[in-house]
Amino acid sequence: MEQLAVLNYLAFFLVFAGIFAVMALGLNLQWGFTGLFNVGVAGFVAVGAYASALLTGPPDPERVGGLGLPIFAGWLGAMAASGVAALVVGVAALRLREDYLAITTFGIAVVIQLVTLNAEWLTGGPFGIQSIPKPLAGVLGTGFVWNLAYLGLVLAVLGAAWWALERLVASPWGRVLRAIREDELAAASLGKRAAAFRLQSFVIGCMLMGLAGALYAHFVGYIAPEDFLPILTFQVWAMLIVGGSGNNAGAVLGAVLVWAIWSVSGGLIRELLPAAEQARGAALQVVLIGTLIAAILVLRPRGVLGERATVSRHAGDAG
Amino acid sequence: MLQLVADGLVVGSVIALGAVGLTLTYSILRFANFGQGEFMTWGAYLAVSALAFVLAVTGGGVMEPLGPFSFGWQLVVAMLLAAALTAALALAVDWLLFRRLRRGNAITLVIASFGAALALRNLVQFLYGTLPEYYTREIQIAVRLVPRDVLGGLRITPDQMLVIGLTLALMLALQLLLTRTTLGRAMRATAMNPALARVAGVDTDAVIRATWVIGAALAAVAGVFAGIVGQIRPMLGFELLLPLFAAAILGGIGSVRGAVAGGYIVGLAESLAVPLVGAEYRAAVAFLVLIGILMIRPAGLFGERA
Amino acid sequence: MTDALRVENVEGGYEPGLPILRGASLAVAPGEIVALLGPNGAGKSTLVKAAAGLVPVWSGRVVLGGRDITGVPAHRMVHEGLGFVPQTENVFANLSVLENLQLAAALIAKPRRRPLAEMFALFPDLDRQRRLTAGRLSGGQRQMLAVARALVASPAVLMLDEPSAGLSPKLVGVVFERLKAVRDTGVTILLVEQNVKAALAIADRAVVLVEGRERLEGRAADLADDPRMAALYLGAAAEAH
Repeated sequence: MEQLAVLNYLAFFLVFAGIFAVMALGLNLQWGFTGLFNVGVAGFVAVGAYASALLTGPPDPERVGGLGLPIFAGWLGAMAASGVAALVVGVAALRLREDYLAITTFGIAVVIQLVTLNAEWLTGGPFGIQSIPKPLAGVLGTGFVWNLAYLGLVLAVLGAAWWALERLVASPWGRVLRAIREDELAAASLGKRAAAFRLQSFVIGCMLMGLAGALYAHFVGYIAPEDFLPILTFQVWAMLIVGGSGNNAGAVLGAVLVWAIWSVSGGLIRELLPAAEQARGAALQVVLIGTLIAAILVLRPRGVLGERATVSRHAGDAG
Repeated sequence: MLQLVADGLVVGSVIALGAVGLTLTYSILRFANFGQGEFMTWGAYLAVSALAFVLAVTGGGVMEPLGPFSFGWQLVVAMLLAAALTAALALAVDWLLFRRLRRGNAITLVIASFGAALALRNLVQFLYGTLPEYYTREIQIAVRLVPRDVLGGLRITPDQMLVIGLTLALMLALQLLLTRTTLGRAMRATAMNPALARVAGVDTDAVIRATWVIGAALAAVAGVFAGIVGQIRPMLGFELLLPLFAAAILGGIGSVRGAVAGGYIVGLAESLAVPLVGAEYRAAVAFLVLIGILMIRPAGLFGERA
Repeated sequence: MTDALRVENVEGGYEPGLPILRGASLAVAPGEIVALLGPNGAGKSTLVKAAAGLVPVWSGRVVLGGRDITGVPAHRMVHEGLGFVPQTENVFANLSVLENLQLAAALIAKPRRRPLAEMFALFPDLDRQRRLTAGRLSGGQRQMLAVARALVASPAVLMLDEPSAGLSPKLVGVVFERLKAVRDTGVTILLVEQNVKAALAIADRAVVLVEGRERLEGRAADLADDPRMAALYLGAAAEAH
């Protein structure tokens, strides 16, 4: 029994790590390969999670949605919804200086958070959406076997996303993307087309985040605004930075590492601190992770695995 | 209607003070500092501690209100202490973090500021807890400036009037500093062209330190003002970050006049929109202003360059 | 007599392992105008930037009037008596003409500070535009303001990086005429130039830099007809292609 509990926890842990890895892959496409700074990860994940929940969930007289569509349709809808949100942000901010994208994505995440909290007719408000269908739960139950099956599903999605991204980055499209990131001259000579390439990369990355949101929603079975706080954005950034951006393996490794650190430190706080101090302990946990990110940026700017050697560095202008 | 305008001016003052610091660091250090809001939070909380300290030192533990205001001279001292401490905090974060990343990509600085903001925000929560704090429990009688039958009337507390007045005075002083003093000219020169500034004899490291001190001190004052007219909570600065950015970009990065105008425009827009969209969507208004300005005039109202 | 400026065997560049200066040396005597010439990419700009403290010097020395100033931070150079006018964006475009000069004056100790009136006398064009934002000046006026900004600190040596860049031939003549007048007030000048003809016309001597080292040096009048000049420029061009 003891062993099963450990295995079950491990499956649980790996499902979350896998979902985070999908988000990190999306962010890696944006930041690692295109140099786009997205501070609204949590928002795009939330859009995906809510979209899939609304499309696949049972009808609820209190709000719209509950179409009861198949889960796969929910996932497609999640990617579409996040893609549309990304399109709106991208069109407004991508043609401008790069840090405006950071500010705008930060803004959209704040607005999405407001909508999830307040638009009860759509999102159920602070209590969120319950009884989101779990795929094949009718056949497999909701115990260890189902967790294991869902882990397989998450890994399959992760593998597919990885494979697609590797293909994409190696394609002519990916080469143009790198050229734009590394060489301002190349970017300038492409002009408007460079903006189009950036926008495509941004939208695809956000669609992956939306898909990850849907994976999350159907695993846990309920979602609420507090699942998509800015800390989520920060965790995914920590994963990418720890693993090394510009490197898909790094993104996945970072997801596992940071999620492990997060889970262990969270567990320690629950074990060691009295109930009254739990909230303060959780705050301290975030402080430590924030410090970790800062330290890695300063001490090991290329992350644990580092960037793949395809990137050339620019020499200063000789004259 | 008039009441909404007055509320907008009060909120706008807080946004303006924060946005001015943001626009200065943005133009001189060349990155969007996501930690600016946290300097406001820290300023507000450091003033809580400083106030307790001042009250303990001077004995009594009670604050005698100053004239028509809800607080006494002790809060003024506490605010100055908090501004100095927040400036020291900004210098420490710069020394530990930003200084070491300046040679690299500007976006690395943005990520670092994002991390620092999260750490600072949660550190406040760890140290002070999540329950709201107040500088004083004094109830203030609002003054009726305009009778109810004229555009809905206008009532405003002396505290609120003071916040608006002090903000305008501070902004005027800052504008004079930037245009009339050597430090101010050196700051503008560094914002324009750091390499040329050094060639001309400007110690740009000293200018950067001065910029942090000014930006963080103004943020601390803004935080205290927010605490005087409202509650002091760990999310105080974070919730103002989006309006801050909207104001700074609306005014044009690097422009103090612009950030002040932007702060009041965003504050007024938020408060005038409340009857239309509801108080819960207040923060979304800043986002709409931001998107609007990026679409129409990304260089901002007073901006020289995008 | 002590040289006003001496660069001795300087190696340096922007990135470690990518040297642009490979043991460059030159000397400028007090009161001289020396032109620093050379093909594109020879390291002329890098040499003056290294002397000004803007590019790291890995080895070798920069000596100003007998004092070693190697590694002095860029913002201290005005106090050492070394002035530098960069090639582009060499005025603070967001400050007025007067503010540009006031800033430079305020940053220098009083004894070294030259009265702004002297600057306006030397560059009457600027006098008429005092309140104008420097970004709105014409190309020639900008160049004058950049020189005036550097002169306010009474430099012993003034280095200019391609002051003729982007100017019409007529304006080049005007600017260079002003530089002569500046020299006549006792300022030694080191001039980086692509415009060989114009530079040799006002310079006393010239140094030709190729691939980060000096290759030819002599009196300006002699070098103007020296066939080796053309060979160095053409040779570098041939190697580059």
